[in-house]
Amino acid sequence: MKLYKKEGNIIQILSFPNETVEKGDYLIIEDGDAGKALIVQVIDVQFASIPGVLEELLRSLPDGGELIQGEDFDPLEIAPHITYIQDASMLICKIRATVENENLSPSSSWLPSRSQSMIKKLPIPMLLKLAKVNGKLPIILGGTKDSALLTIDASSLDGRLNIITGKKETGKSHLSKLLMLNMVGYKATVVVFDLNGEYISLGMTSDEKRNAYHDKIHVLTPSQNFKVALKQVNLHVLLGILIHALHLPGTSAREFRRIWQSLKERNMLNMHELSEAIRNWHCNQHVRDALFSRYHALANSGFFTDEMGGAMLLEECLFKASEHGGAVIINLKNTSAIDRQIVVEYVLGKLVELLISWKLRAIFLFAEEAHLYLRETYWDDIVTRMRHFGIFTTFITNQPDTIRENIYRQADNIFLFNFTNEHDLEVVSRAARIDAETIKSIARDLPPHHCLALGKVVRDFPMVVKVKALDVKTMGETRLFFKDMN
Amino acid sequence: MLMQTHAVQLKPQPILLTSRREETTVAAVDTSCMKIGETRHGILIAVRGATVCKQNRKYRYMRIGPFIFHVTEENKKEVYATLQAAYLNASHEHMPQVMLNLMQMPTRIANLLEKWLQITLAKTLNNSLILFDGSLTSGTPDTPTTLMKETLSTAREKGNIILAFSKITNLRFNGHIITEMLPLHKPPYMLEAVGLKPKPPIVLLGDVYVARLTHGNYAFRLDIDKEVSSEQKILAVERLLGNDLFQQSYPETLRLSHILCTFTANEVIAMQHFITRKYGLRILIRPDMHKLLFGPFGRGEGYS
Repeated sequence: MKLYKKEGNIIQILSFPNETVEKGDYLIIEDGDAGKALIVQVIDVQFASIPGVLEELLRSLPDGGELIQGEDFDPLEIAPHITYIQDASMLICKIRATVENENLSPSSSWLPSRSQSMIKKLPIPMLLKLAKVNGKLPIILGGTKDSALLTIDASSLDGRLNIITGKKETGKSHLSKLLMLNMVGYKATVVVFDLNGEYISLGMTSDEKRNAYHDKIHVLTPSQNFKVALKQVNLHVLLGILIHALHLPGTSAREFRRIWQSLKERNMLNMHELSEAIRNWHCNQHVRDALFSRYHALANSGFFTDEMGGAMLLEECLFKASEHGGAVIINLKNTSAIDRQIVVEYVLGKLVELLISWKLRAIFLFAEEAHLYLRETYWDDIVTRMRHFGIFTTFITNQPDTIRENIYRQADNIFLFNFTNEHDLEVVSRAARIDAETIKSIARDLPPHHCLALGKVVRDFPMVVKVKALDVKTMGETRLFFKDMN
Repeated sequence: MLMQTHAVQLKPQPILLTSRREETTVAAVDTSCMKIGETRHGILIAVRGATVCKQNRKYRYMRIGPFIFHVTEENKKEVYATLQAAYLNASHEHMPQVMLNLMQMPTRIANLLEKWLQITLAKTLNNSLILFDGSLTSGTPDTPTTLMKETLSTAREKGNIILAFSKITNLRFNGHIITEMLPLHKPPYMLEAVGLKPKPPIVLLGDVYVARLTHGNYAFRLDIDKEVSSEQKILAVERLLGNDLFQQSYPETLRLSHILCTFTANEVIAMQHFITRKYGLRILIRPDMHKLLFGPFGRGEGYS
């Protein structure tokens, strides 16, 4: 390989056919005289601009597309040299760091010698060692191209905002399960908003046997084993549900507050009494109608109950998880859009309540397709306020434009699977921790189950990893009509 | 070329041609040469030749080379004599003494290869049309008369007819280049040039025509073996019309042989790579004085 050009933080390297370098690979450009080296990452592989190639191709097809047959008597065997030159490639590389005395710095302000520099492939294990991507709480994400394991530290997800995104069937949920189970293994408390019921069998192996996580996975299905009594709900949580999920106007909300206070003073907070109170409350008929319609929405959700027995489960599960590590899976499958929002408002309100009172230390929240249940104002809350309470969120989505731009800007880690659509790549490339070219170039060519890890987990050295397999019962498979016929 | 051109005349009556489709093999030969670099001692030359045959509506080629020579002032005579002997089976004494200029060596060597390919085709083909690039003029240092005569007679013995197409000609009639004086006839046709009297030692071994074989304002000088009868000459061109493709009055077989032997820029780089790797020769990059002195007004120096 030969150093050809540097423009900004892009370096172009001429590579010959016997040097197999692919997108995503790291190279080290060592300048012995300067005593420094540049670490660069290949973000694109192009044909080198060799003069005369067009003529060469044209003359091989002179007859309207049919190759002209013939023999070449080439006694000096020049042909392999021609092929060698023709197949030379130009590696477009991004400068990632400078190494000096085994220390890394993000500087790219110096220029290595074009004639004297030695360019070599930098094996991932060596890069991980240089970048100190290790720690006491290792999570093996999978294998890199050179068959090395990519291990991240669980603490690099602690206190962070993470995004897992990629198009359908590329392995996003699989990675989120891997991260989640590893966090549980390190005794973390995890809450999952499980939109499709994909996480409910994580305690089982693929052959339906109990696995090591079986006792740590707590599945809560709203209106089945997960119900709440009004007495357990704080007024501000319920108001949040009424205003944000059920769009109750301000005037009606004020009346509701009065009704609630009245019932609470009389220790009569239950669904039946709430209905009676609304019916008999002295207020404008429109307000009453508005309150009644919301009441019916709450009642019809099946999420609210007057029985205290089945209502303590969320707190119990969270406390259990906080002691030994565990995941509380909120199974939102078969839940209507309104009910989903009611449940999510409740869970988030409850989490904040428990975290503010230090009953919980911190939780890791995994939210699949959050735009389907998270109200507008929560997005900013999650990345700013809730983070300070100790809610560390991982968003998982196949529609990157449903996550706001400011979330990308503040994301600490992004696990990016394949995207081919320009628009999707454009959205993701707004992430602050990485340049747009890297995302656009590498993500487009990622095979299924391969992800580009970006951010603090890899110390800002983007790495492509094939996510390792998990021996858990998968539930996220698409139901197919022609399955038995194939 | 030293040629008396004042007496050239074009017969006004064109020879009208009809395409004859009876299956005839058409073969063509061309070579190319290039100075691919300079060393401290001399120059590096690459030559390559190509023959293309059209048979049963299919083109087939044979490409020979590239051959690379390191020619210096010291070895140029030896190199040339050795190649002359090898290619043309002629000893040094029997060939005309040629003044060898180092800068003309690429053309000289390529010409030797071309002559060898021409005579080889003449010997190996039967009842075919053989197309040469250039004319049938002999008596020049590159084309000894004996050699050209031998090539033509060998071809005749095997039933072949040689037709030589010149892309450029200096022959003028009434002050105009002969290929630019086209009568208003529907092509294909030929105009016969008469009255050519070359100055010794130049010998013209062919009859000269202006051939306009397709629509468009392209015409070429066409030399056909003098020893062949007029009827055979016309028949040969008509068979060529029926058996080869023509674009801009130029036969495809000859065009392909030219394309196949020409060096592209990446081949030059590959050959330089080969020489450096295999023989450890250091190619000098001399400053281009034209570019240096005249900037954008200086002409390019090619690949060297």
